Amino acid sequence: MPSRRAPATRWLVVTATVLAAAGCTPQSVTEQGQAIYNLYNLFMYIAAVVFVVVSGLVIWSVVRYRRRDDELPTQTHGNNKLELTWTVIPTVIVLFLFVVTIQAQDKVLDSSGDADVDVTVTAFQWSYRFTYEGTGAEVLGSPGTIPELVLPVGQRVRVKLLSADVVHTFYVPQTLFKRQAIPGTVNEFDLTFEKEGLYHGQCTQFCGLQHTDMTFRVRVVNQGQYQTWLAETTRRGSAGQPGT
Amino acid sequence: MATTELPLPALPEAHHEEPGGIVDYLTTVDHKKIGILYIFTAFAIFLVGGLLALVVRWELASPGLQVMGENTYNQVFTMHGTLMIFLFAAQVTTGLGNYLVPLQIGAADVAFPRANAMSYWLYLFGSLIVFSSFFVAGGPAAVAWTAYAPLSTDQYFQGTGMDLWIIGLAVVGVAGILGAVNLVTTIFRMRMPGMTMFRMPLFTWGVLVNQLLILFAFPALTVVFALLFLERNFGAQFFNPEAGGQPILFQHIFWFFGHPEVYIIILPIFGIISEVIPVFSRKPLFGYRAMVFAFFGIAALSFGVWAHHMFATGLVYLPYFAIMSLLIAVPTGIKVFNWIGTMWRGAITLSTAMLMSLGFILVFLIGGITGIFLASPPIDFAVNDTYYVVAHFHYIMVGGLLYGMFAGFYFWFPKFTGRLLSERLGKLHFWLFLIGFNITFFFQFLVGLDGMPRRIADYQIERWASANLISTVGAFLTGVSVLVFIWNFLVSIRRGQPAGDDPWGGNSLEWVTSSPPPSHNFHHLPEIHSERPAFDYHHSPAFAAGTDPERNPDRG
Repeated sequence: MPSRRAPATRWLVVTATVLAAAGCTPQSVTEQGQAIYNLYNLFMYIAAVVFVVVSGLVIWSVVRYRRRDDELPTQTHGNNKLELTWTVIPTVIVLFLFVVTIQAQDKVLDSSGDADVDVTVTAFQWSYRFTYEGTGAEVLGSPGTIPELVLPVGQRVRVKLLSADVVHTFYVPQTLFKRQAIPGTVNEFDLTFEKEGLYHGQCTQFCGLQHTDMTFRVRVVNQGQYQTWLAETTRRGSAGQPGT
Repeated sequence: MATTELPLPALPEAHHEEPGGIVDYLTTVDHKKIGILYIFTAFAIFLVGGLLALVVRWELASPGLQVMGENTYNQVFTMHGTLMIFLFAAQVTTGLGNYLVPLQIGAADVAFPRANAMSYWLYLFGSLIVFSSFFVAGGPAAVAWTAYAPLSTDQYFQGTGMDLWIIGLAVVGVAGILGAVNLVTTIFRMRMPGMTMFRMPLFTWGVLVNQLLILFAFPALTVVFALLFLERNFGAQFFNPEAGGQPILFQHIFWFFGHPEVYIIILPIFGIISEVIPVFSRKPLFGYRAMVFAFFGIAALSFGVWAHHMFATGLVYLPYFAIMSLLIAVPTGIKVFNWIGTMWRGAITLSTAMLMSLGFILVFLIGGITGIFLASPPIDFAVNDTYYVVAHFHYIMVGGLLYGMFAGFYFWFPKFTGRLLSERLGKLHFWLFLIGFNITFFFQFLVGLDGMPRRIADYQIERWASANLISTVGAFLTGVSVLVFIWNFLVSIRRGQPAGDDPWGGNSLEWVTSSPPPSHNFHHLPEIHSERPAFDYHHSPAFAAGTDPERNPDRG
């Protein structure tokens, strides 16, 4: 149910959200996501300049060159130098964006380091199963019970992503990263959480009737808490209930 | 004055001077009437699709499931996307093309008038088949308009509604291919003497490239529907990994159609904007040839970018699709700069058609810039399948397509009917639409960046609530703006100010014939000396001397 906050507060929240979010995505909580955050901001600065220049030119022309009489303005058909300029400049910008994209992408998708934790995530209609490789620990969710993926902070987690039925995604907004879970395909990626906390996760690829309910949580804890949790969950075995 | 004999195709005589009654419209092969049929049908579908959008916004206005259950919600947004993309967006521009292309190239009709009628009726009946899925057991498809396999296969989604969806859309696809053969042939073969390719109006160029794209892209859609239909009904296993099939295959074929589809929708709109801006700036289009090459640049690139819809699959070669997608910004940028170049030092009149075109440039700019973000795989990893994408493509589709379409409606309504739409209501329509549209979709960028997934019936995260509520208010405001347009149409078609042949000081050939044009389009045609035959003609000494009694004086 929506809370009954005072309208003034609500508008304040909205305004703050607009100002904060107009410029940037939420901060990333993973090492890999940090590269995406920086890339997004770089794009945003360039986009803002392009938007201001182009919309400024449009508005200026409309304000300055209004029809005042029946005299026909000079009938210019084009200008090769100008047209070449506004072909070359966008090309250069785009090539620059491509280079920084590739650099960021290499950081995001880098899986050359050894993994500290191996987790197999199996998406299914409409929840997830998290299997901790080599430990026997497993967390199984359902649309009614939100599964929780418990992970240690500062450790390289290698996620092996599978689907048991249709196409889903594994997406934690605060990692700024998602990947599709495709039946018959194994997708792998690394996440290194840098901040402890509880993070919302959700399937973003429409996957049928209860797609809306396909959520999960990631709980990032310190190494000691993680080991305790892992031992407990392993003891309870593969039928383990979602973490609390 | 100099006139040119027209090559007239042999049309059934009976259709020449009949009044436009119902029987006439049912049997017509006149490209103008078929164009009108296309436009009305597409607009009616747009209204249904728009109502479904309002239902979606109503549900999302606040957290919790208030209006309907998840299944109904899934059906509603699936049919919203289906109607808008397949049955409205690509069809309304085909309707405008049908009406205007023969006029703009000085032809009496299209190359294949009967095939033209057939493609309209296939489109109508295909659409009715899709609509019929509302009335079968289980209701219509609920797998999103993209219908990704394996979700859309019989294993995960049963019901006749889905099969009717596939059949109906396949029929509409065939109609599109047939219509494209017709319009492409018309443009290549039916131009009047003197109308060289590089003297064609930009709208005709836009339609030409758009129909060429249809010829290459729609067969892919037909293929993917055929595969899906076989899998659903005859035990084929194209998308079933357990039987050696590949789910990802569906996404590849679908987006090989799906991305060019975006340009199929938007290129004729670029054409409309390129007609309206020169007329209301009283200058020729700046960089005509560059504009034409930009069309072809966009069209060629559009077949090399499909997998930017699939960055999050982890199964495509990212750098190739990234650079191809980013490069589309260059020809698109050329277009925007040339429009500005056209207005620069012009004499601008802010008619409703011009306001809509300016609105188009500004919202399309936002849609285009956010498209650059999505072309970058790492950024796409963050925002793919969130409301950021929803906002982005609505800035292209609603912002781009609808502003351009309305610009075209206000611009050519006098030609179609002989009457002007009310400018006063038109401006009300424009401002309501501009405000409503931006309120609706700007806030979706914000919740998208905050991680709200698309296609969910409900959300528990409290901080998404305000933006969703605002978005809903904006959507209803947009709905009101459309009502203002309909009111304007109903009033103006009966009591609108008489338009004359050329109310705006137009450039292209349709402005030298009467409004509405006679059944064979022209009694006389001027000689063609440039890409602005009507302008040349109306500024010729003979016209100024009033030696041509058949013409109304230029109001300019």
